[in-house]
Formats: sequence, structure tokens, C-alpha cells
Amino acid sequence: MSKQYGFYYDASRCIQCRTCEVACKSTHDIEPGVKWRRVIEIWSGEYPNVTRTFFSLACMHCEKPACAAVCPTGAIIKRVEDGIVVVDRDKCNGCQDCFSACPYGVPQFGVDGILQKCDFCIETGREPACAVSCPAEALNFGTLDELLEMKTGKTTRRMGGTTEPSIVIVS
Amino acid sequence: MSRKSDDLEKAAKSANVKKFGERMIPTFCSLCGPMMGCGLNCYVKDGKLVRIEGMKESPINNGKLCPKAYASAQWLYSPQRLKYPLKRVGEKGEGKFERVTWDEALDIIAGKLREQKEKYGPESLAILSPQARTYKSYFIRFLTAHGSPNYGHSGICAIQRAFGFAYTMAAPMLGMHGSDYEHTDLIVVWGANPVYSGTPMGTLKRILDARERGAKLIVIKPEMQPDAAKADMWVPIRPGTDGALALAMINVIVNEHLYDVAFTSRWCYGFDKLVPHIQKYTPKWAEPITGLPADKIEEVARLYGKAKAACILAGNAFDQTVDSNNAVRAVGILIAITGNLDRPGGNIVSMESTMPIPKPVNLPKRYTQDLLDKLVGPEMPGCFQPFIEGISSAYYRCLDSVLTGEPYPIKTIIAPGTQPTVITRGSKRIVEALKKLEFFVVIDVMQTSSMPWADVVIPVTTMYECDHPFEAPMGGAGNWIMARNKVIEPLGDYKSDYEFWLDLGVKMGYGEDFWQGNIEECMNYQLENFGMTMDELRAHPTGIIYEPKPMVYEKYDEFLTAPSPRLSGAPYLPQGKVAIYNTSFEENGFNPLPEWVAPPESPTSTPELLAKYPLVFFDTHTSEVYNHGWLHNVPCLREIQPEPWIHIHPDTAKARGIGDGDWVIVESPHGWIKVKALYFPGIRPDTIMSLHGWWQGCDELGLPGYPLLDGGANVNILYSTDPDKAFDPVVTAMPKQTLVEVRKAGTNG
Repeated sequence: MSKQYGFYYDASRCIQCRTCEVACKSTHDIEPGVKWRRVIEIWSGEYPNVTRTFFSLACMHCEKPACAAVCPTGAIIKRVEDGIVVVDRDKCNGCQDCFSACPYGVPQFGVDGILQKCDFCIETGREPACAVSCPAEALNFGTLDELLEMKTGKTTRRMGGTTEPSIVIVS
Repeated sequence: MSRKSDDLEKAAKSANVKKFGERMIPTFCSLCGPMMGCGLNCYVKDGKLVRIEGMKESPINNGKLCPKAYASAQWLYSPQRLKYPLKRVGEKGEGKFERVTWDEALDIIAGKLREQKEKYGPESLAILSPQARTYKSYFIRFLTAHGSPNYGHSGICAIQRAFGFAYTMAAPMLGMHGSDYEHTDLIVVWGANPVYSGTPMGTLKRILDARERGAKLIVIKPEMQPDAAKADMWVPIRPGTDGALALAMINVIVNEHLYDVAFTSRWCYGFDKLVPHIQKYTPKWAEPITGLPADKIEEVARLYGKAKAACILAGNAFDQTVDSNNAVRAVGILIAITGNLDRPGGNIVSMESTMPIPKPVNLPKRYTQDLLDKLVGPEMPGCFQPFIEGISSAYYRCLDSVLTGEPYPIKTIIAPGTQPTVITRGSKRIVEALKKLEFFVVIDVMQTSSMPWADVVIPVTTMYECDHPFEAPMGGAGNWIMARNKVIEPLGDYKSDYEFWLDLGVKMGYGEDFWQGNIEECMNYQLENFGMTMDELRAHPTGIIYEPKPMVYEKYDEFLTAPSPRLSGAPYLPQGKVAIYNTSFEENGFNPLPEWVAPPESPTSTPELLAKYPLVFFDTHTSEVYNHGWLHNVPCLREIQPEPWIHIHPDTAKARGIGDGDWVIVESPHGWIKVKALYFPGIRPDTIMSLHGWWQGCDELGLPGYPLLDGGANVNILYSTDPDKAFDPVVTAMPKQTLVEVRKAGTNG
């Protein structure tokens, strides 16, 4: 594979402002109830010693996408040139096997029952709206090599996982 | 950090506008206020706005945006948009209207205003304040030209803080925009929300960057909002008691000698009187009021007092409490006595840029004592008027006068971009006032909750449908100016807010004051100081950036002697020093030193209510998706917060048999609402947090609207409007704290 695009995510800067979520929805004119990117939160501890952590979650364009591996119609394609995982919506039969296979609950199905998800904004011909819009600079994008070399003053690493998500996180 | 990936950047450029048949038009946002709007790049295809992105050239947002701006195309094309002017045909409150033309609507309004001016005097007109955006200057000008002083200022945001800081250290913006994050060791975010408010405008990023540089972050607020989730220390204070905490912090800092002796003796007036005054406000005293352990209060005070440099971002919590003027002055005193005033890393007075200041639209030179004396319900006592926005009555009091007739009844209210039914307190009384009011005009881009009572409804353009005004910072602190560009043609028979006031001015015979209705001339007049016309400014599609002036600290000689906007022009500070002991307050019969004033209902001020109403209720000023009473009809925002809610601690909920997501009845001594209970582990167990502004439905998601009064979701019906207890006597701040009980809906309600 020549290169692999992915996202950079720094949970210490994410403040659940939802800009990435709505930027995505507005850029792709996504129907109600469907989210290609969403920000979830995790609480732990007991009042007053509680912690609240946020995660901005979208397709991770995994190097070994479990969704593609199980797709019976070959509708999920990992592009050779940039590693972006895309959907051929004409081929998808709506079986949702991909949803069961994805460890992160990413695949989305709207009224038409056909898979839809993040395409790294390649349809729009622009940089990923979520990453360029992030007011907290918690989210970024690039090739994995670029993201790992990026000078942030922090220790970064590839996120672990059997599907090898194309995500660089702050460790 | 690098944000570019070369290949995708190239792809973005090669996937050019031609391929998609789109045209890019830069403009600026006006969804929120009072700050400058963010720069927007708007992509238009076949005359329709199809996509929005942040404008990288704008120094306000540097290419970033917030969810509300991204959702604004859905807002623009909403089926609830007002498309043509309306006049009432049914009873007030019925919401029955018929279509009229722009010109007919203006004739009706002008006819009524002329008749009432003759019959009752010009002061019978009040115009209520919207979120502060530039169009407010136009109706303040209209009021002055008409002869009415009654700009009904809402008093839920900013002015109360500005007043307290102005009369303590002659720097109105010190607590809002004065933090020197780049050089600080400690940031205190106090009753503010830099995440939901002005998200892309820099404060949030500056705080996050400062944290990474090693600055500590303390966040003081009743629930763990996202900024508190990032804090080194979250201080879960009981709502409405920030003033008590500030006084106790002063006590610790004074008694433990953590103050700056040199600064206090050179630049502060009345420190000697503060020392005995503050003795009663011990951390032990504040413990039962604030709900914070005394040792926690001591810890916060010591961290702030001992920090080499510390800054405070004081937020909206200070504006919506009866203790407002005291609390703000106490925070001002904290800043001053710790030597954090206008020093690196402290709260600083920002420098102007090399940019000229546009000529003002309002007419301050025409203010007279006679006009001031006619205020129907002064927002600040006359002795402190005009303040920075001009002369003003309190929003609520304009409406209340309709019912009381005291000192005289307002006869016409115009509500431009504001919804009295959900924005001010005492909604039951507000509805009564709207029923009785002789003439009511609503101006908005969208249907509003107050519209059913309107006699005339004026639709106006969104920021995408007109080519004016220009955007420049209000008051001069900033360095960017840009002309608005029209992105699409208006979707109906309407013009802009700006044109409305010009047109009405002409109809009333005030044409000379309103550029004879010519908006281009109006813009050119304001730009005279720039030596260019609107067309010449428009030749710079993303505006012009001026050089900022380099920061100079410790400008005490300069700003502590600043003149106030009062008619006399007397300085804010008679001694030219920080007013710890405030002689201006004393002369006018107010506390010279800050004191503690409890909310009208609270565990310590009304313990007798606790048996029936054991929980403290509060509402937060804004959220990531809504803007006061607006935007609930926008599908991609509404799906993030589909239903009106309260945040409740799981233990508090379980003790009442309430499950996560259950509908509940929240009842105060003044009314009840029905909302959804959301478990929230990061909230004081004795406190319930909600959000104001709920009334509107969202057709696209099949979600209903809610009644304005009992049984709806309008939190403003829950609060006290007791004339003796519910108003700060200096700044008319009204409280948003009360006591409630919560029970599962459906069983007894």
C-alpha cells in the first residue's frame, strides 16, 4: 500500500463542542438520525471526584477493515491508493453484517437501509470537514506517516486494535 | 501543528468550484452576539446555499466554526421562516394573521407610533434588546430620534459584569475578554462557558494551549460542563452563591497576607476599610451558603492568591443573580489586591489596534437629563446612566409597566430578534402584559414564541440574504473589518433589520436622521473614518486586517482615569484608583463595599421552603446547539438535544424513583414544567440544572413544541419576580435560582 490516510485525535483537547459532528452532517447533507461522526462521553468515579472523557468517533479507515472482510457483496472497498475505506452503495444489500463486524459501531443505515459512513470527504473534494473545523484542535488528518511525525510536543502512537485503525492518538 | 496534508490539499484545490458548479461567496455570521461574527465561506449552487466552511482569513475564527454556524443552511431554509409581513386579524394570542406588504406594515406601525406620540408622549414606545448585534444601534438611534429613552435592555448577559468592572477598575470588559492566557500560571473559569459560547473565537483554544504549557485550570460552576472536565480543580459551587465565595476568598487573601501590598497601597482606594468589613465573610461562613467545604474555599483562595500570575474569566452566572453588583465588585477586588490587574498573566486591559473606529450609529450627544428622567424602569439608577450601551430601562420593567401603569404604561413594544415570552423571568406576567399591551411588533427571521400576541410581524433577512452591514468590533477593540456579501436572494418579501429602521425612520418623518432611507449612504457615513466607501471595502472580499498595537502592561495612569459615559462625563473612579471602597456607590445610597445578598429562594435564605422544595434549580445560559429561544427547529441541532431536559445526579433521581430519560415534573413555588431527566454524575446532588429557551417544535424530526406556561418546558416560569427580592438594586439583574421538587411525570402530574 502506497500510503494510508487517517485521523489524529487528542482526547485531552476534545471538549464535546459537537462541531465535528455537525460539520460532517452539514457538509454531506446527512439525513436525521444518521451520524457519520459523533462525540461520545464516558463518566467515571463518584461525585465530586468524577471524570468525564470525550471521544470523537467516525470510520477509522482501518488497515484491516472487518466490515470489508465480512461484506457478502463486496460493497466495502479499501482503496489501494490512499487506504480510505469507501462504500459502493449500488452493491450494498443492507444486510448490516458490517455493523456487527465493526468493533466501533461505525456503520450507519438511514431510511434506505443502505450502508453510509465517513468517506474522508473525498466526495466533496475537500479536506475532511470534521478535522479542519475543530475549534479545539483535537482532531486532525493526514497520512499516518505525517500524523506520527507531526510535532505536537506530545507522545503519540497508533491506536491499537485487531483491525488496525488508522488513528494516531496521544498516549 | 501542521494541519495540511499536501495531497489532499492539492485534491481540494483541483476539485475546483467548476466541477461542482458552485460559487464561493465570503460573508460573516450573525447567529450569536455580542462578539464580532465569524468569517464564513459560503458555497452557492443554482442560487442555493449548499455548504459552509470557516474563513481562514478571519482573525476572529481562523477557519474554525461552531455547530450552529454549520447548521445555518437548515436554519436559512427552515419552513418556519417568516416570508412576508403580517398583520393580526384574530384576537391577541390567537396567532391569526393576514399577509400585507412591507410598505403597508410600515404604514401601520408609523401610524400607531405617531398617534401614540401625540396622545401619550414618545416615551410610550419601548424597544427590547436582542442579542447584541450591530442592528441594535439602529433602533437605539430610532428611539432617540423619536424621543423615547426606553431601550429595554434584557439584563441577562454581560452588562451587569461590565458595570461592576467599570465602576471598580474603569475597565468594563476586564472579566469577559481580559484574561492574558498566554502568560498566566492559573486560569479561573468562573460561571462562564468558553466551550458553548464563542466556541471558535479563540478563548477555548487559548485556554487549552495554556494548559498544555503548564498553566493550572480551576473551573467554578455547579455542574461538570466540558470545560470543568478539563480542569485541575472543579469547584462545584451552589448556584447563585458566587458572590459569597468571592467574599470568603478575599477574607483568606487579606488575613493570610496574600495580597500585593505595593499595588494595593499605590493603586487601590479604601483597602483599609475592606479589612474590617471582610472579617465576617470567613470560609466557615461561606460553607453552608456555597455548599463548598471551608477547606476547599481556603484552597481555592490560596491557589489564586499565591499564583505568580492568575486570570479570571467571569461569566454569565454573575449577570443573573440578585447579588450581581456585589459579586462582580468582589471579583474585581480579588483581581486588584492580588496584583493581577493589567499585569502579564493577569486580567488585562486590551490594546486597541491601528484600525480606525467607525462613526457611531446611535446618538449619544442627544441624551439629556430630561430624556433620562423619563425612563420607565431604569436598568441602572439614573445617577449611573448612560452606561456603555446608552440609556436603558430594564427589559422586564418595560413589560411590567403595561400591567402596573407605574410610573406610566408603555403602549408600544417592538421586539426585534427577542422573545420576551421565554427570555425574561415571570413568563406568566409577561403573557398578561402582551395581552394588555396596546401595540406589539415582532421583528424576526423566524416564527417566535411571542408572535401570537403581535399586531404586526416584520420578517427580515438572515445574514445570507443582504449585502450590509460591515462587521467591525463594537467599541474598537479588534483589528478586522469586512463588508457583508449577499450569498442568496431573499426568500420572501422582506428586507434587512437595518433597512427596516431606515424605512421606518423615513415614514415617521425622521428621514434626515436616517440617510433618507439609503442604506449605502448609511454605511458610507459610518466608514468615513476609514477614508473609504462600502464599495471600496467590498473590494476586499475577506475584509481588511489592521496591525494590532503591541501590548503595554500597567497602564494605570491611562485607564483608571477613564471618563464614564454619564452625561457629566465624570470619571468612573473619582480617586483615579481601583474602587475597593466605592464612594460613587456610597453617595447614591448603595453599599460602598460588596456584601452578600442571597437569592430570593435558597437553602440558607428560605429554609422553610426546603420541606416542600428541597432541591436548588438553575439554568445554564447556552448550549452547544441552541441560542436562547432559537434554533430548536433546526434538525441537525435538535437531534443532539431532542427534548427539554434537566441534569440530575443519579442518587437524587433514584431516591425519587426517577430513571434516566424519564419525563419529570419540576415544580417551584411559582410554577411547574415537564421535562426529561438526564442522569448526570457530575452535578451537585442538591442541584438541578436545565436550559432556557424551550418552546419550539421541529417538524422534520416530528418533535413537538411546548406550552409557554405551566406544564411546558419554559424555565422562566419557575423563578421569583418579587419586586422586593428579585432585582439587584444597582443593575436590575434578575435571579435564575430557585427551589424545586422533582417527581416522575404521569403519576401525579
